Amino acid sequence: MSAHDSSSQPSADENSDSAPCQVSQPVRRSAVVHLLTAAVSFVIVGIPSAIAGLFFLDPLLRKRGVRAAGGTATAAARKDEAGFIRLSVSGAVLPHDGTPVLVTVQDDIEDAWNYFRDVPVGSVWLRKSADGRITALHSVCPHLGCSVNYRQSAGDFYCPCHTSAFALDGQKTNQIPPRNMDSLEVSIRTDGREDPAGAEIWVKFQNFRKGVSEKTPQ
Amino acid sequence: MNSFVNWLDHRTGFRQLLHEALYERVPGGARWRYVWGSTLVFTFVIQAISGLMLWTAYSPSTRTAWESVFYIQHEMYLGSVVRGIHHFAAQAMVELMAIHLVQVIIDGAYRAPREVNFWLGIILMQIVLGLSLTGYLLPWDQKGYYATQVTTNIMSATTVVGPQVQVLAQGGTSYGHLTLTRFFAMHAGILPALLIGFLALHICMFRRHGLTVHDPAYAPDTWFWPDQVLRDAIACLAVLAVVLLLAVFRGAELSAPADPATMFDAARPEWYFLFLFRFLKFHAVESLGLAVAAIIIPGILMGILTVMPLTASILGAAGHSLNKAFTWIMTIGIVGLTGLAMYEDATDTDHQAALAEAHRDAGRARELASGPDKIPVEGAASLLRQDPFTQGPRLFARHCSSCHRYQGHDGRGSLVTEFSDAAGKQTSAIVAPTAVDLSGFGSREWMRSVVVDYRGHFAWLKNAGWYQQAREKQAAGEAVSLIDPDNSEMADWSGDAAAVSSPENAENLTALVEFLAAEAGHGGIGIDQALAEKGRSVALNGTWAGGAAGTSCASCHSTLGNAFTPVSDDAADGYPTLAGYASAAWLRDFIRHPNAKRHYGSKNQMPEYSPQQLSDPELDLLVRWMTHDYAPTTVAEYADRLELIRAAIPTAPAPEPTSQPK
Repeated sequence: MSAHDSSSQPSADENSDSAPCQVSQPVRRSAVVHLLTAAVSFVIVGIPSAIAGLFFLDPLLRKRGVRAAGGTATAAARKDEAGFIRLSVSGAVLPHDGTPVLVTVQDDIEDAWNYFRDVPVGSVWLRKSADGRITALHSVCPHLGCSVNYRQSAGDFYCPCHTSAFALDGQKTNQIPPRNMDSLEVSIRTDGREDPAGAEIWVKFQNFRKGVSEKTPQ
Repeated sequence: MNSFVNWLDHRTGFRQLLHEALYERVPGGARWRYVWGSTLVFTFVIQAISGLMLWTAYSPSTRTAWESVFYIQHEMYLGSVVRGIHHFAAQAMVELMAIHLVQVIIDGAYRAPREVNFWLGIILMQIVLGLSLTGYLLPWDQKGYYATQVTTNIMSATTVVGPQVQVLAQGGTSYGHLTLTRFFAMHAGILPALLIGFLALHICMFRRHGLTVHDPAYAPDTWFWPDQVLRDAIACLAVLAVVLLLAVFRGAELSAPADPATMFDAARPEWYFLFLFRFLKFHAVESLGLAVAAIIIPGILMGILTVMPLTASILGAAGHSLNKAFTWIMTIGIVGLTGLAMYEDATDTDHQAALAEAHRDAGRARELASGPDKIPVEGAASLLRQDPFTQGPRLFARHCSSCHRYQGHDGRGSLVTEFSDAAGKQTSAIVAPTAVDLSGFGSREWMRSVVVDYRGHFAWLKNAGWYQQAREKQAAGEAVSLIDPDNSEMADWSGDAAAVSSPENAENLTALVEFLAAEAGHGGIGIDQALAEKGRSVALNGTWAGGAAGTSCASCHSTLGNAFTPVSDDAADGYPTLAGYASAAWLRDFIRHPNAKRHYGSKNQMPEYSPQQLSDPELDLLVRWMTHDYAPTTVAEYADRLELIRAAIPTAPAPEPTSQPK
C-alpha cells in the first residue's frame, strides 16, 4: 500500500493529500471513541469466532451418542447385556498344542449418521491351554496400537512397529510395552448360557487406552 | 511488555503497517455511505470462519453429503447456528455486493483513475456468484439438486463448448460423487483462493487511489481510525445481528435428500436469481432459445457493466449519465422481476402445494433419519423411497385420484382440476370426484358412516358417467347391475331412521363400529377390546331393537368376522366380503381384483390394478399408507380441501349430521 499519489487524483483536492504532518491536521477523537471502536470491532469478530470455537469442540461437548431404544439391532442375537459377544468359532477348532488363533469379532458400530450392523470391530488371539482353558488376548498392542502378530519361529507375540514382544500368555518380555497384552473375559456357553462343556466362545470385547501401564477401558 | 513490543516492531515493522492501515485520511469526514466495502470484507470473513467449521463435518459424496449436513444441522453442538450463519451471510454478501456496485456507479467511483479497480470488483462479483452457485448444491437436497441441474443444463447451451463445459463442471456426463467433490473443491478451495487474491488487489487499488469523496466540505478531514472504523464496525454489527437472528430463528432449510427419481415440483433458484428465472419464463424470451436468453443476453448486460469506465471516458458526462440510467433500469428490472416471480409463486396454488409437499418430505426425512437405526449406508434417499407415508400419497395421486380424492385433494394436496373452453375462455374448474373420498378409510367415523349413512357415504358415485348412463338405461326399462347408493338392500337397511340409527340401538351401534374398526386394524387406533367383542356379537347375531330387529350384518355378509382370505367366485356369497374389511390384506386383494365376485363382481366399476400397473412394492406402500402402517409422524398432513370440493361441486353429498354422539 503505497503512499497516495495526489497527482493521480482528478479531484485535485488539497485535503486528499495524506502526508501525515499537514497544516490542517485531521480531527482527533477522545479515548472514549477509541475504546468504543475497539469494543465493537472485538464483538463483531468475537461472536462468530466464539460460535465457531464451540462448534469445533462438538466432540467434547456433545453427549456421546446414546442409541434410542427400539432399533433393529442384528448383533443383539450374538451379544448379551454384559457386553459378551459370541465368536464365530467353536472351542473344538482351537489347536490343542496352545498355538494361538486370530478370530474376528463382529458387533454393531455407531458412526456419526450411520449405524453399521454386525461388522468387524476388531480381533482377538484365542488360545487353548493344556488344561483346555480358553483365553483371549486383544490383538492390538497396548503400547501404541499397532497389531500384535504371532511369531511362530520364536513362539511368542511380537509387534512389528516398535518391537514389543509378549509371551503366549500375554506377559510382556521386553520393556517396550507399558503393560501386558490386554486379556479379555471369556465365557464358554451353550445356547447363550454358561456351560463349561459348551462349544460357544463368548468374549467381552473392549478397547483399552494405549501407552499407559494401567489397563483402563477407552 | 513495552520492550517486547519494541523488539517485535524492530523485527517486523508492524507499527508502520498498522499505521498505514489505520491512518488513512478520510477527506470530508467519516460517512455512513462508505461502509459497504467493509461490510463485504466482514461477511467474507464470516463465510471463511463458518465455512471452515462446516468443512470439519461435511462429507462430499452422494451417499454422505445430505447425511453429514443433516448431522451438522440436527446433532452437532451449535450446528444449526453455524450452518444458518453460512447460509444467510451468503445471501447478505450478494445483497451487499449489489448495493456496493450500485453505489460505485452512482458516485462515479468507477471512472478514471479507478477503472482497473472497478474491473477487479466485477471479477470479485463473478467469484461470489460462483461461490453461491456451487454452495447451493453441496447439501445434496432436492432443492439444491434440481436448481443446480437447471444451471448446469444452461451451461450446456453455450455454443460449441457447452457440453464440454457441463461435463467439466459435473465431473462426468451426469451428477454423481464427482459432481460433489468438484463443486466442493471449487466452493471451498479454488474460488475462495481466487477471491482472497482479487480482494487483496482490490483493496490495494482502493488504498492507492483513496476514497471517492462524496462531498469534501461535508466535515473536517479525519482519519480512518477510529471515526470511519467505528461506522464500519457498527454496520458490520448490524449485518451480523441480522444474520444471527435469521440463523437462530429461521434457520437454513434442508429439504429432502436428493433423489433423481423423485420429482421436485417446488424447484426454484436461490431468491436473488429469481429475476433471471422469471426473465427466462417470458414467452418472447423463451422463443429466443436458451443460449440467447440465458447466456448471451445476460452476457451482454454484464458486458455493458464492464465497459462502463470506457463509456464514461469516451462520452464524458453523458457517458456517466448513461451508465447511471442503465444501472437504475437494471435495478428496477431486477427488483420488479423478483417481485413478480415471488407474487406469482405466492398466488399459484400448485406451487404452494408443491412447497407444502417439499416441506412435508423434508420433515419426514428428518424424522426417519433421527430414528434409532440412523441413516442406512445406501443413503437417506432410500428412507423416503421405502416410506409409506411419503410414497403413499404419490401413488394415490398417480393411480387413484382420477376418481377418488383424499380430504378433497389428489393425495398430494392439489385440487383435481380440468381446463374447460367455456365461451372461448380457458378456465380451470374443480373436477367432481366420482368415487368415495378415502381419507378416514377404515376409521371409526368411516365405519359408522357406512352403517348409518350408506347413501351419503357413497353419494360421490352418482357423479360418475357410468352411474348416470346406468340410471338412464334403468329408466328405459333395461336391467342393469350397478352399485346404487340410493337403491339397494344396504341403502334401505342403513337409511331407516327407526332402525340402526335409532336411540335404542346406540350402544349396539357403537360396539359394532368398534368391532369393524378393530377388524380393519389400522395403525394408531387404540381399540377397546371388550367393546369390540360385544360388537362382534352384534355383527354376527344382530341383537338389534326396533326396525333393525331380526337383521344382522352377517346374514348377508356371511364371511364377516373371519380373517380375510380371497375366497373363490364359487364360494362367494354374492355380497361384498367383509372378512377383514378395510384391513391391509382385504385392501391388497381389493385393489388387484375389485371385480371378483367376493368384492363387487359385475357391479364393479373400478379398474383392476395388475402388477404391471402397480407393482407389488408399490401396492405395499400404498396399502400401508392407507392403513396407517408406518413409523409414527408429527409432520403436518396436506391441507384438507373437502370444503372446497363441497362448495364447488353441488352434487357432492352435504355432510350429514350423525345421529349418534361419537
